[in-house]
Amino acid sequence: MAKIRIDKYRLLELAAPILGFLASIVVLLIIAALVGEPPGKAVAAILRFTVGTGARLATVFSVAIPLFLAGLAVAIAFRAGVFNIGAEGQYFIGGLVGALAGIYLPLPKAIHLPVVVLAAMAGGALWAAIPAILKVTKGIHEVISTIMFNNIAFALVNFLVNGPLSGRGAQSLEPQTRKILPTAVFGKLNSAFRAIGLNIPEHVYMDYSLIVAIVMGILVWFLLFRLRFGFEIRAVGVSLDVAKYSGIRVKQVQIGVFLISGALAGLIGLQEIFAIRGHYTFEIASGLGFDGIAIALIGRNSPVGVVFSAILFAFLKQAGYGLQLYTSVPNAIIYVITGLMILFIVVINEIVTRYIRALRKKEAA
Amino acid sequence: MTLLKMEEITKVFPGVRANDKVSFDLQAGEIHALVGENGAGKTTLMKILYGLQHPDSGTIYLRDEPVAIRNPRDAINQGIGMVHQHFMLVPPFTVLENIVLGMETHTAGVLHMEEPARSIKNIMEQNGLLVDLDTRIEDLPVGLQQRVEILKILYRGAEILVFDEPTAVLTPQEVDELFKTFRMMTEQGKGIIFISHKLDEVLEIADRITVIRRGQVIKTLLQEEATKPLIAELMVGKPVLLMVEKPEARPGTKVLEVRNLRQTGERGHATLSGVDLELHTGEIYGIAGVEGNGQSQLVQAITEPVKLDSGDILLEGESILSWGVRVRRDAGIGHIPEDRQRFGLLLPFSLADNIVLGQHHRAPFVKWGQLIDASKIREYAQETIRAYDIRTPSEMTPANALSGGNQQKVIVARELRFEPKVLVASQPTRGVDIGATEFIYTQLIAARQAGKAVLLISADLDEILNLSDRIGVMFKGRIIKEFTQEEATREQVGLYMTGEQSSG
Repeated sequence: MAKIRIDKYRLLELAAPILGFLASIVVLLIIAALVGEPPGKAVAAILRFTVGTGARLATVFSVAIPLFLAGLAVAIAFRAGVFNIGAEGQYFIGGLVGALAGIYLPLPKAIHLPVVVLAAMAGGALWAAIPAILKVTKGIHEVISTIMFNNIAFALVNFLVNGPLSGRGAQSLEPQTRKILPTAVFGKLNSAFRAIGLNIPEHVYMDYSLIVAIVMGILVWFLLFRLRFGFEIRAVGVSLDVAKYSGIRVKQVQIGVFLISGALAGLIGLQEIFAIRGHYTFEIASGLGFDGIAIALIGRNSPVGVVFSAILFAFLKQAGYGLQLYTSVPNAIIYVITGLMILFIVVINEIVTRYIRALRKKEAA
Repeated sequence: MTLLKMEEITKVFPGVRANDKVSFDLQAGEIHALVGENGAGKTTLMKILYGLQHPDSGTIYLRDEPVAIRNPRDAINQGIGMVHQHFMLVPPFTVLENIVLGMETHTAGVLHMEEPARSIKNIMEQNGLLVDLDTRIEDLPVGLQQRVEILKILYRGAEILVFDEPTAVLTPQEVDELFKTFRMMTEQGKGIIFISHKLDEVLEIADRITVIRRGQVIKTLLQEEATKPLIAELMVGKPVLLMVEKPEARPGTKVLEVRNLRQTGERGHATLSGVDLELHTGEIYGIAGVEGNGQSQLVQAITEPVKLDSGDILLEGESILSWGVRVRRDAGIGHIPEDRQRFGLLLPFSLADNIVLGQHHRAPFVKWGQLIDASKIREYAQETIRAYDIRTPSEMTPANALSGGNQQKVIVARELRFEPKVLVASQPTRGVDIGATEFIYTQLIAARQAGKAVLLISADLDEILNLSDRIGVMFKGRIIKEFTQEEATREQVGLYMTGEQSSG
């Protein structure tokens, strides 16, 4: 009996993001109509660019990989009530440290690949460490310090890539580092997918970063729901007072989760740096760390939820390009829609949560 | 003239009758004190008056007219003002800006400050409430901030002024000033409702004193007939609602020793001024006292690391002062916290998680120091739920779905099942229904029979008298008198609680 009831609540919880998504699509169509595009044409444009062909669909998943890592990084911090707004900076520094390991460490491939991943994580964690320590020792709010650290990271990376680490050679005028050694370049998994019958065209990046993302997703899930440290993370996130009262060392938990969050954020750039570019530059896509905040929010800070919300975000990103390409609806509308969707989902979530609580109260009474 | 009359006000929250046919009135020119322990229903009554809550039944009359007060705006418009315990001021704004905030004088959006400033200066003079209008709130001491709060409600034309524990934050000199203001206001025909735990102050200033207990008005006293012991007795109530079976105590060795504990509070006054206490296995030691005499600070000092001026706490002869909460718990100090929702339970977490909380880091609930054994946790939770008769659909139900009594049972069960050497039980039955109260009493006695040492802190004197083998009375940060259960009478203990009888 109890099992069935829990499933009922689960279903209700799932309804929120779906309703929010549908509501925002309706708004999108209304906007399209106002711009003078028939809703049908807008829908067609979106579908064509996102799921129209196998390649398009695969691209959505490819785009989702760094988004997933970004969402995961922010989500785990949120779980402990820590607001890591600095995923962006941690991603720039983590990417740089990873790239340096890829450029300057001559290692055999089997060792080099894990080393660059760990180096990127170490870089991200390092960049998160200072705000973390400032938070627990001096009470400086992490939202402020991490935003500041984002800017410091940009400036630092800019300086390093233009100066000491510049590897600008014959190939490009764009400031960049030297090339990453072939032993550290992320190969593609497209052939592996072909082996199981999924034909992904070569120009779509299904690279080793997918494996990193999957492994990290499983590790984070395991940490949160199977390890004592994860239990303490969640307890701290629910109530600092109760956590303290029950003997949890709150500051250690906060520092720990901050470092983990930073380490995960350090991985956001893997795909672009190691698979797509093959070198590091401060021109790598910006804003992914901030997308992570919204992705974590919509994914309810759960590793599984973040999988779906990262795919949803990737879908929306691609949908924006589709609209721009095939209709007169401006690409920027997608940002409006994304914002609205977050709003819808948050509001509907709250309503559903209250409803479930009321149902449960009745049940327990 | 009767300014205010509240008639047969009833307000029921799930599981508690916060106000049960409460009648209360206030005359013009009168200071009417409202006293009662926390949770007795004073705050609910005042929230109803201020429109923050709506009564289930009963009528409010203002100047003999029945009124409906839907929200604080209504209350303010009807001439009711409230000075909250926590000030509602904007720190970076000036005094003047804070006073006019919400009812600014303006033409087409352009503020006029001169006119309000003039009328506020008038009010200041009439009521002895001088403050510099151009100073920012954040630069003012607490006593002056309170004046601003009072000016704010007077500027809004309040005739009925409610003060919720106004003296808790004041120095004695500031209290004198405040009382002067009270008298000036009553001379102008205003009425004051004064809520306080400090019986000395109540006796000094109030014309009438109404005592509330468990949601009911026990009695309204005139100043002439009121004495401290009488008020204390009315506050803590009529003898014995619950009698519990209690076998003879067999106290054993000393487990916990508190030595000359001294602590200075945030405002520089002594919160603990030399507490000495010994606790033995197999006994319940009850601490009686009017709230705010250092009980909470003593509990904190035993259960968590806090800043102390001097003194020591020994568990089985070893000083625990430098230990963190986890070490203390692992060493055998259990704690039923005063505010269960805030400190005791992870409300959205399952009962199973809440039942192992605090032990979740140890075998058998984790393997290899980190890996959670969910089936062990559920098994342990099921056993606990059965053994302690916790009413819940399942051990996976979130804690926030349970009634207050059942939530408290979860905490009591958790703290007892981890077999502590010392159990600190702080207000264990506050806001809990009779059934759960009886259950908790039985459990505390069972713990004592099992050789645990129980330190019981309660505002309910009956609870203390019934359960404790020894009773210490706390007054002004010290235990001024110890009784054995046989020698303790309600009257004697009451006298020491109010400080009437000094230490002997």
